[in-house]
Amino acid sequence: MNFSFDTIWHNLPYLLAAARWTVIISVCGMAISLVWGTVLCATRLSANPFWRSAATLYISFFRGVPLLVQLLLFYYALPYVGLDLPAVEAAILATGMCSAAYTAEILRGALQSIPRGQTEAAYALGIPSFSLWRRILVPQAIRIGMPSLVNELILLVKVSSLASVVGISELTRIAQNITGETYRPLEIYITAAVIYFAINWILSISGRLIEKKLQIG
Amino acid sequence: METELFVRYGPALLYGFGITILCWLVGSIGGVIVGFLLACLNRWGPRFIGWVIYAYVEVIRGTPFMIQLFILYYGGPYIGLLLTPVQAGIISFIIYGSPYFAEIFRSGFNAIPKGQIEAARCVGLPESRILWRIILPQMLVPITAPLTNFFIILTKETAILSVVTVPELLFQTQTMAAETFTFVEPFLVLSLFYWLMVVVTGWIGARVEQRVTRHLKRA
Amino acid sequence: MSNEPMTTKADDAIITVRNLSKYFDDFEALRDITLDVKRSEVLCLIGPSGSGKSTLLRCLNFLEQYDGGEVHLDGELIGWKDISHNPRKPLSSEALRKQRQHIGMVFQHFHLWPHMSALDNVAEALMSVRKLTKKEAREKAMTALTKVHLEDKAQNYPANLSGGQQQRVAIARAIAMEPRVMLFDEPTSALDPELVGEVLSVMKDLAAEGMTMVVVTHEMGFAAHVADRVAFLDSGRLVTCVPPQEMFGREPDDARVRSFLQTYRERNVV
Ligand SMILES: Nc1ncnc2c1ncn2[C@@H]1O[C@H](COP(=O)(O)OP(=O)(O)O)[C@@H](O)[C@H]1O
Ligand SMILES: [Mg+2]
Repeated sequence: MNFSFDTIWHNLPYLLAAARWTVIISVCGMAISLVWGTVLCATRLSANPFWRSAATLYISFFRGVPLLVQLLLFYYALPYVGLDLPAVEAAILATGMCSAAYTAEILRGALQSIPRGQTEAAYALGIPSFSLWRRILVPQAIRIGMPSLVNELILLVKVSSLASVVGISELTRIAQNITGETYRPLEIYITAAVIYFAINWILSISGRLIEKKLQIG
Repeated sequence: METELFVRYGPALLYGFGITILCWLVGSIGGVIVGFLLACLNRWGPRFIGWVIYAYVEVIRGTPFMIQLFILYYGGPYIGLLLTPVQAGIISFIIYGSPYFAEIFRSGFNAIPKGQIEAARCVGLPESRILWRIILPQMLVPITAPLTNFFIILTKETAILSVVTVPELLFQTQTMAAETFTFVEPFLVLSLFYWLMVVVTGWIGARVEQRVTRHLKRA
Repeated sequence: MSNEPMTTKADDAIITVRNLSKYFDDFEALRDITLDVKRSEVLCLIGPSGSGKSTLLRCLNFLEQYDGGEVHLDGELIGWKDISHNPRKPLSSEALRKQRQHIGMVFQHFHLWPHMSALDNVAEALMSVRKLTKKEAREKAMTALTKVHLEDKAQNYPANLSGGQQQRVAIARAIAMEPRVMLFDEPTSALDPELVGEVLSVMKDLAAEGMTMVVVTHEMGFAAHVADRVAFLDSGRLVTCVPPQEMFGREPDDARVRSFLQTYRERNVV
């Protein structure tokens, strides 16, 4: 077997075009994850025991069941309840809702690592609760949680490959299709791996840059 | 109707659960062993091996498991590596898990205060003895939680093996769903099985953690 | 406690340090140190923080690889296989182990192994280095613990011992190997003041038994009353090495020694 760089060269444009969908799915998923994760985190920390346990249940379900299963559930089960989402939207929603469970825990951990004394000092100064959150707690939580959040985004890039199972033409799916035509799985899948790696590499570099920017002093 | 369904598909589901557990256990324990060897090589081996390991860790962690599985299962035959789905599943699991485990062990090594190792050298303990008697037992404290955590993550990654027709739990469930046009029940059962694995693993991890931290408790 | 030098004390050197130098990258931590430690002598190393006391001590058992000069223990070159070649080649870890068995060391932060009981901390090397059976090792470890007055704490884990007790276990761990010399790196600096005495008293007993000891310390009382000689280090150089009466008795000649000791005098006025 000879490694055919020709095959790679001919199919690279298709793979790169498909990688766009990989990025779209993971970035949109992350956006949902951040918003929904913040809500979950707040719910999880709320004083109301009902909401608190609801959030806990949600988090343990989405963290306890394989994402592939969640994806299939969204894809096959939602039509049963009258919600017929297009495949891409279903995939984004599923990854986002699942990832939110992790994001919520990241944010909670970050919030709880902020020394209580800061809150007390703010109250002692008469700073209102809302400003306390907006100006003191949330910015710090994001800074503390940033490395984990970037990690989560990298995870989403990898996880987006699962969307191939429900037929979305992202990178993995297109790689499968091309393999079906060329019978060159080694070349095509390795190329796909390189593309995934490049995306994640860029992400982790930018993550480190952002981290540096956020650091004080 | 439902009981009849599960009487008919029960054995297949249980069989699938068995395959899931087989791939998960063999794959992750293999990953632990390879990861441990990598971490040791990284610490005691020559410099350039450290770089090779670093590259391996970064590449495997930067690419999706599914792609790794495809490279092995579909690409393998082209370089004379013909594997059954289960074999490919287990091997790719070992490859996928080992860098994460290696990183956990690396951080465990670093968690042992240098002075303790110097003290051991001062009384003349051999390096191998230092590893087994001083480093390993203490390392269990900081690594048990992340190890448990990663074992739990891996339980869920087993579902991906269904894509290359490993007859594991999700594969059996999908077969059942397709043949019976039921959806809710099989997936409920499936979730229950995964939940069971996660809970049991978490419980074992907590017990192990209790055990390895005994000496830190003040009387 | 009297500290007249024992008349039986042999006058030969057990450790000889010749023109020792040590670099950390470009930084010269030790320069051209020449020093003898006599058999059964207690030598205290004093000097300002960062002057190289720990580094000197750690060169004696090759925890730091010294760059120039030689260290001999009973005539045997420590650490290097051969110094005629450049670059120098260190001994195999096996040979290094053999040498280190004869050099006990006690650290500022004890460095006990927290997952082993006090007894097992002491017995570990007896089993794996001296190859004693578990029973023999434990008996011998118990003897060592008795010497430091901790026989009733043998089963405790380090977390359940006070700092002073932990340091005494660390001393027992070292003396159980019957070393020819003992090195102490600020053994009481991490202790609460009321626990310092118990450790110093164990060290005095050891000195009285004729153990050769090199002690880095800030306990000037110990240096004055137990040491046979006191060496003063400053910026990696050996400024002086004299009997304690000379170091502490009259105004020292060297300005650096004077100002260093002055800070202690001021503090002790309280
Ligand atoms: N591992 C090391 N790497 C670089 N510099 C060191 C190292 N160890 C000690 N030094 C430097 O060598 C000097 C002497 O240190 P040390 O022997 O610990 O001093 P002392 O014990 O007298 O306080 C200090 O300036 C210290 O910063
Ligand atoms: Mg020091």
